[in-house]
Order: sequence, then C-alpha cells, then structure tokens
Amino acid sequence: MAGSIALQRLSALPAQPRATTEPVLVRWILLGITLAFLGMFLCVPLVAVFAQALQKGITAYLSALHEPDALAAIRLTLLTAAIAVPLNLTFGVAAAWAIAKFEFIGKSFLITLIDVPFAVSPVISGLIFVLLFGLRGWLGPWLYEHDLKIIFAVPGIVLATTFVTFPFVARELIPLMQEQGTEEEQAALVLGANGWQTFFRVTLPNIKWGLLYGVILCNARAMGEFGAVSVVSGHIRGQTNTLPLYVEILYNEYSFAAAFAVASLLALLALVTLIAKSVVGWKSQQQLLADERAAVKESA
Amino acid sequence: MSIEVQNVRKTFGDFTALRDVSFQVPTGELVALLGPSGSGKTTLLRIIAGLEAADQGAILFHGDDATDRSVRDRQVGFVFQHYALFRHMPVFENVAFGLRVRPKALRPSERDIHARVHALLKLVQLDWLADRYPSQLSGGQRQRVALARALAVQPQVLLLDEPFGALDAKVRKELRRWLRRLHDEMHITSVFVTHDQEEALEVADRVVIMNEGGVEQIGTPEEVYEHPATPFVYHFLGNVNLFHGRIHEGWARLGDIELEAPEHADAQNIPAVGYARPHDIEVTRYRNGTAAIEAVVSYIHPIGPLVRLELTGCDSGDLIEVALSKDRYQEMNFQEGERVFITPRKLRLFVQESQPAAGEGLPKS
Repeated sequence: MAGSIALQRLSALPAQPRATTEPVLVRWILLGITLAFLGMFLCVPLVAVFAQALQKGITAYLSALHEPDALAAIRLTLLTAAIAVPLNLTFGVAAAWAIAKFEFIGKSFLITLIDVPFAVSPVISGLIFVLLFGLRGWLGPWLYEHDLKIIFAVPGIVLATTFVTFPFVARELIPLMQEQGTEEEQAALVLGANGWQTFFRVTLPNIKWGLLYGVILCNARAMGEFGAVSVVSGHIRGQTNTLPLYVEILYNEYSFAAAFAVASLLALLALVTLIAKSVVGWKSQQQLLADERAAVKESA
Repeated sequence: MSIEVQNVRKTFGDFTALRDVSFQVPTGELVALLGPSGSGKTTLLRIIAGLEAADQGAILFHGDDATDRSVRDRQVGFVFQHYALFRHMPVFENVAFGLRVRPKALRPSERDIHARVHALLKLVQLDWLADRYPSQLSGGQRQRVALARALAVQPQVLLLDEPFGALDAKVRKELRRWLRRLHDEMHITSVFVTHDQEEALEVADRVVIMNEGGVEQIGTPEEVYEHPATPFVYHFLGNVNLFHGRIHEGWARLGDIELEAPEHADAQNIPAVGYARPHDIEVTRYRNGTAAIEAVVSYIHPIGPLVRLELTGCDSGDLIEVALSKDRYQEMNFQEGERVFITPRKLRLFVQESQPAAGEGLPKS
C-alpha cells in the first residue's frame, strides 16, 4: 500500500512536462516486467533446450539424432506435414474462395464449422477419430474386416493432424479475399478468361502472401501437434511416433540428452517459422499498405 | 453492333431493381443511362454485360438473342466504376490480359500483343506508364488504363459504369470530353451509366432517364431537357418551379393564372401541377393585362451569366426561382423586398395523380 502511494506521488511530480507520457520510473518498471517475463518464459527455456541437448557434447547430440527411431520420427513428421499441409491448402483456398466471393445459404454456418478444430481440445479431436475408426468405433469392425488400419497407424496420424490444422489457411484467406472483393475476377471474365485462368492469373497472385502466411502457420502446427496425434498414434517406436511424441518417450525413459536433442529440432523449426512468418507478414503488410494507398488515392 | 433490351425485369429479394425495361441502342451510338442512385441503371448495365442475369426479358445484340450467352462470349468491353485493374500486374499486362487469356488458336503472337497494347496505351495517352503498377497511378490515369484494357479485346459494345464517378470535378470534365472524342473516332456502340445530368447531356447522343427501376423518358439531350415527359424528368434535369392548382373542363387555374388545357377537356376539378423552368418565367413590376402571380423578391444572386431571383408567392407562400439575363436584370433593377408579378412563358401541366413520389431531395443543378 505504502509503495503504491509513493509511486503515485512520484508520478505526480512535475518532472515530466509532457501530458501524454508516463514518468520514466513507470516506463522502466513496465518495460522491465515485460522483458523479465519474456526472458523467463521464452528465452530461458529456448536456451535450456539447446544447452541440455548439447550437454554431453556434439557427438552425443548427433548420434541421438541418428538413432533409427529418431530418423523414423523425423520421416513420419515430414510425411504427415507433406500430406496435411497440401490438403489444408487446397481446402482452405476453396473454402475462402467460396465464402469470400459467393453468396449462399449456410455461409455463416460454414465459417463457424471451419473454426471447430480451434474450439475443441486437440485430445478430443483425437478421440473423435478413435470413436470413428477404432476397433470398437462406428467404422472399426468394417475396417477390421477389410484389413485397413487407421487408428494406431499412419493414416490416423495424418487424419488427426489434418483436422487440427484445418482452419489455418482458410482463416488467413477469408478476410483478405473479402476485402479484395470480386471486381477483378469479374473484369477477367468480361475480358474472356475462363475460371482457371481467372483463379491462377488474378485471384492467386492477389492472395499469395496471405496464403504463404497461412501455410507456414499450418505447417508449424502440423509438425508440432501433440495432443490429437498422441491419442491416435499408439506410440509404436519407429512406426507411429512423430517428433513431439518421440521427445516425450525419450524423456519418460530418462534419456534427457537425447530428448532435448530431438526437442531442439522442433525448437529450430519454431525459430525458422518465426523468421519466415515475420518476413512474409512484412511482405503482406507492404501489399496491404500499397492497396490502402491505392484506395486513398482513389477516394481523393 | 446494336443493343436491344426487351422487357427486362430483375428483383433482389423484395427489392425490384428493374420493372419491365425496354429500349434500343442503334449501332455506333453513345447512350447514357441516367438516374438517381437506386434507379436500377447499374443493374441494367450489368445485365447487358452478362454479369447479372435478368429474371425475365431478353438482351439482343445485333438482333441475335444473347440473353443466355455467357459473359465471356458476349464480346463486350466493361469499364468498372472503381476500375478493377489487376493490382499485381503492371499497366502493360493489364491491357494485354484479354489477349493473353485467349485460346491458343486465337491468341495473337507476342509481337502483335506488344504492338496492340502500345497502340492502345498511346490512344489513351499513357504510353509512358506501361511499367507502372495501378497503385502508382492517379484516378484519371487508372480510368484510362481500364478503358484501354476494355478496348484491347476489340469489343463490339463498350459498357461503362459511372466512368467518372470517382474523379474530381476538373479531371472529370476533361475525361468526358476525351471520351466523346474517342467515341467519335471509334464509333463503337457504347452505353454509360451516370447520375450526373450535366455529364449525360453533354456526352451522350441519347439519354435514357431511369427512375425506380423503370424508364421515364428516352431522347436526345435536347429533347429530354426541353420537353420532359414526366414530372420526374422535370425535377431531375435542372431546376423547376411548381404551381399548384386545379383543372376543370379544359381550363387550368393555378393561383391567379388561368390557362387553356385542351387535353383535359373532360376533367372535373382535378388537382394539377404546372411545371416551369426558372428561365421560362417573366417578371414584371406591374400587372400588364394578363393574369399574373403576385410575389415578393426575397433574394438576388447576381453571380454568373444569369441572375437568379428567389421570390415568395404572396398567396401560396411558395418559393419561386427565376433566372434573368444580366441585361434584363440591369434594365429592371429589381430590389430585395420588392413586390413583382410573374407569368410563366412556358408551362407544362401534369395531373396530380400521375405525379410520382419524386420531388423532395432530388439533385438540382
């Protein structure tokens, strides 16, 4: 109490003539809190991951990554992303196109539906697939009869990942395409372009930065997804373990150095994603600014 | 190529955008669709282009039914109100687009495309901007690029939606003269939409005046201005004074004036309104034999080639606007507050029932 009163008195001092800025002390305190928080919760863990990973030297680090199980996990993660991201790219563009450029009944329902994967817990998402395709699930017996494995196999992991990363591209594109409107597409049609030409020559170039942004986010999540994948994977070493699952297994087995070595790959992925994201974000911002300037010029 | 619009109707939900519209545009003519916002003129233009489908009716190009022809096959050039230039392409590519998307068999060679685009850019006087992006151009420049792009595919019909709507007054005036000259050179059948009476009357060969989804009058600028067919057209094209009164057995009585109305010979005391333009009203200081309306000069605007007087009718209290030539004004030397007598030289009578709910809030130039 006394402290806050002292602070108030300090801030009331006429040392700071400008009416709109806080006193120096307040500014430093706020900045300090922010930096301390960032350091504690973001930088320290990141550094710790790499420190722990390299704890037993670079050779141990590399050999941990060279383990057949580790390589299998990397392969599976890449495969999953390689399937899930293009699927969601296609779906996202199609959904955004339909929502932004056409009027139809049930449009707002579709928008809500796209958000479902964001709204439900990833574990529930995984469970849905177990309930659907698991041995005692709706389609389980039929799949068993036809010798098709989805749960505790690669298809289940891909399905769960696709479901969880479903909204990223569409969410990124819908506002962008809505803002751009349909006039350019109409102009292309009048000039004799067909649907594909209109899409590839007019629509796609206009949304490319937003699309790339969505794909980067989608990819990061696809590679890093734990909850949903954990439920459907079955944790079979060398077969159904993705990188995040493999990290957990190693950690539970007290192979800390190896666990952190694999985790460092994911951390690296996060860093690359962040950099790519800010570059692309900056690019799309530039485009947005150019569009805005154009709009201002138009109305002037 | 001539355009024929036959009994076109269009509704959007509960809103009737067009009710049974028909008219023709002869080959090579420049026609304006003129009307206030919400009159259906843009919808009509989009239906002609094929960007919108009519609920009923037909569109004929050169006598052939094109109602179900796709927008791609109509061979129309369309200039959008906000230009709709492809923002990620430089000016050159914007203009070349219509040629590049043609099927291989019909696509001109790269050299021909180059030649044609540069010829068009020269025509719109923007040859030097071929490498710029649309965002780097001014509104007037963009408008001309949009026009060059529409002309690149050698359309049979050119359709322009509020082509000068988003430009400032000066550029607007320049561009519309330029459009008129361009049309005189190319003789391509053109239809443009506008809500600006001055623009329509200055540029077009013929004007189609629209209101609430219907056609009010079609005619040359002179015809529609000098002989408005309906009270709406009177209101919409320039200022007009209203004199309320009644018609009885071929005679109309508006305040103190009485005049013959032979076309209403069997009218039995029905309410009517007389319409007279400000420059068709005579103002005198004394009652000179003929019946006249007594009024008081309430305000004088001596600016411009015509002097405008605002009068207040002594009986009705209505505002009456009169335009006098400068010479006449100096000769008479009216003063504010003075009592005068007015007689309409030219007056058109409309029976009250036929008057649409127009009147208030219409643009007056």
